Amino acid sequence: MNIIEITDLSFSYREDVDALHNVNLTIKKGEWISVLGHNGSGKSTLAKLIIGLLKADSGDIFVDGILLTEETVHEIRRKIGIVFQNPDNQFVGVTVEDDIAFGMENLNFDRLDMIKKIDEFSKKVNMNEYLKKEPHELSGGQKQRVAIAGILAMDTDIIIFDEATAMLDPKGRESIMEYIRELNKEGKTIITITHDMKEAVNSDRIIILKDGEVLAIGETNTILNDKETLNASNLELLLPLKLLYKLDEANIKNEKVKDILWQLSLNK
Amino acid sequence: MAIKFEQVSFQYPSFDGKNFSALENINLEISDKGEFITLIGETGSGKSTLVQHMNALLRPNTGSVTIYGIKIEKNTNKNKKIKLNPLRQKVGLVFQFPEYQLFEETVLKDIIFGPKNFGVKEDEAIKRAKEVIKHVGLTEDYLGRSPFNLSGGEQKRVSIAGILAMEPDILVLDEPTSGLDPKGRDALLELFTNIHKKLNKTIIIITHDMNTVYKYASRVVVMHDAKLVYDGLPNMLFMDENIEKWNLDLPDIIGITKQLEAKLDITFTKKPHNVNELFELMKGVL
Amino acid sequence: MKNIIVGQYIPGKSFLYKMDPRSKILALFILMVSAFVFKDITHIIYMLLGVLVILKIGGIPIMRIARGLRPIMILLLFTFTFQVLFIKTGPVILDTVLTLTTINIGIMILAIVVWYYTRRYIKSKFFYMVLVIVGILTMLSLFTPGTVISSSNLTIYEDGLLGASFIMVRLIIIVTLSTILTLTTKPTDLNLGLERILKPLNLVKINSEEIALIISIALRYIPTLLDEANKIMLAQASRGVDFTEGKFKDKVMQIISLLVPMFIISFKRSDDLANAMEARSFVPGNKRTRIHILSWQSRDTLVIVFCLLVLTATVVVRVYL
Repeated sequence: MNIIEITDLSFSYREDVDALHNVNLTIKKGEWISVLGHNGSGKSTLAKLIIGLLKADSGDIFVDGILLTEETVHEIRRKIGIVFQNPDNQFVGVTVEDDIAFGMENLNFDRLDMIKKIDEFSKKVNMNEYLKKEPHELSGGQKQRVAIAGILAMDTDIIIFDEATAMLDPKGRESIMEYIRELNKEGKTIITITHDMKEAVNSDRIIILKDGEVLAIGETNTILNDKETLNASNLELLLPLKLLYKLDEANIKNEKVKDILWQLSLNK
Repeated sequence: MAIKFEQVSFQYPSFDGKNFSALENINLEISDKGEFITLIGETGSGKSTLVQHMNALLRPNTGSVTIYGIKIEKNTNKNKKIKLNPLRQKVGLVFQFPEYQLFEETVLKDIIFGPKNFGVKEDEAIKRAKEVIKHVGLTEDYLGRSPFNLSGGEQKRVSIAGILAMEPDILVLDEPTSGLDPKGRDALLELFTNIHKKLNKTIIIITHDMNTVYKYASRVVVMHDAKLVYDGLPNMLFMDENIEKWNLDLPDIIGITKQLEAKLDITFTKKPHNVNELFELMKGVL
Repeated sequence: MKNIIVGQYIPGKSFLYKMDPRSKILALFILMVSAFVFKDITHIIYMLLGVLVILKIGGIPIMRIARGLRPIMILLLFTFTFQVLFIKTGPVILDTVLTLTTINIGIMILAIVVWYYTRRYIKSKFFYMVLVIVGILTMLSLFTPGTVISSSNLTIYEDGLLGASFIMVRLIIIVTLSTILTLTTKPTDLNLGLERILKPLNLVKINSEEIALIISIALRYIPTLLDEANKIMLAQASRGVDFTEGKFKDKVMQIISLLVPMFIISFKRSDDLANAMEARSFVPGNKRTRIHILSWQSRDTLVIVFCLLVLTATVVVRVYL
């Protein structure tokens, strides 16, 4: 079943250039899809369009069968949670507890229910000992975890990570990636937006954007094997992949080595 | 030595009386004769505090920092005879976010802001601006544009140009490549290499990216829990067994080489520095 | 890492901390009205004693209150002097001539210079200043050798002195009471209390919940913005801006170099924040449930009843005595 269907989507900030041009995309329930692209490729614009923070110039977005319009946007936002890039600019509450509660308060959750959920999901992201802490006492990675807890508490089916790791140090980055993998296993539909191929290798499918257009879309394995497309994408190839391509070019056929390199590419 | 740290400690004051120790007993010497130094360590290990001592933005609580012969200690500022400002021309510091410094209507005005503060005449400053804008990989057309209509990468370049125009001997950059995509990052690092080689300036970069360290640096300084724990060659650092304790990753090339050696149960004859060298080594084995 | 405290809240355990912020705000309001009902100096001094008792029971160190009073000391002194000099009714309690002579003007200037350079070593600067002023006035009145430069009358009437003291005590009571509130209530609780108390304003289309949300976001971002301002200052200092010196024209430029980045970053921030809030289903004006609730307990009722009794008593005293 398709939880998101995007047809012929176009959007431009200025009249002369399209930030996104004719994007078509379907996402299945429970799938993890990575949107890969260089800076300015339109990937964050896509996220903002899906949750209705921007209004498309043309094309349709269906979420769970509902067409995104001004009337349905609030209904659709209840199905999608999004973690943005800057940890500081999405922390609304005065304390961790307040911030996890913010979305639930907007959705008029019962107070006792909120307290239960704050407890449950702060534990899930390992922030239960920080409930009374204020944002300036937390690291970037911790703030992003709080954002995740706030979204889990709202119980959305879909979670978008819009370069959620870009401003974190390697440790913070790895911890967020860990949660993404776990949430996907638990059945959440995940969209990660990134320019780092390392963060995309574990997803089910990859869509590559370049200058606002879809360059490629397909199963992760297929995309990673598509040398021409990846070279055209302006992205940085993973080192084992580069080696793999080089072996191919030199016509060296050693299945064992190839298999090892493939596994290394997939971060295994 | 251009900059010399002697037993420097620094604490950030806190309202609840528990001071936060950011630097503990740091000893460090930096020359202005073309070093390429990367400064690494976890978030909160004291890297930014350390570089803010290099151009006298901060003064040590104990110990001293000597910058171009001027000794800076805890009470230096009270003695008004010592001017700290000229030191900031010699040691140019670029902050992580260009948004912190860009404020003028045009790129040109923003670039000449620094030089003019240090008493450079307007026409000389403009001449420098036209020069440095090329060093940072932009064209003269940019000079007339507003800095706020540029992309993130371009803003970063303009902010670096603004410091370069001051003609510092040492250029310090706080996480210059964070938030950039791989293409943008590599372009910027190439640019620093050029500045380093052509203008023979010492470059100091704070980074979390071990590939940058391994590929570009001639020297690496590691901070861990407010202490300086390593100062030496990048090659040697990644053989150090403490590297895990300091929470540092390995550069991709070293990590992949190690894993290949383990999985294929072989040892390569030498240590590859890039993917081509590794490929050649593999060809030899297969 | 860095610890920035917004507001004056200091943690504690007394009954003042256990009270509902609403009852504290109401009590403050009622007691302030009482302070304005009083007309007589003795009565208001009784009230001051009462306030001191509250401080004692509430376990609030009196030095904290004194620190709160410090910023308005000049105002207090000014009001006091003004009242003393310009109310000219009642019996005269002091009538003297202040004479400025060639000799005592020298001593006066010397005293001021000595005061100026020694004040940093004296712990209680305010009393030191008052002492110097009183000393100079005494000298001008009693010690007048040399040629007279000018002289003027200084007459103090009883009503003037009493009136001045009265106003001073009233101001001290008001400031002390509000300091008690801010010392014992977290800014967030205060905000929540105000929101609930102002709820009736919703009838006249003023949305107290939205105002409270704005205040809470402001509270949340104050430490972030302070940190940011500091970094911008360091970044500009790295470009040779010397914030410690410069002519007026330079100063203007320095301030612009701080304000422009500050504004640009804040706009970006508020834009991002608005997106984040909307994405989490925030719709301005919609009803929201709240995680924090206030619980009004019998102790709160008791305090309010007590305060109302005080108010009644003051009205009775005012009317019948």
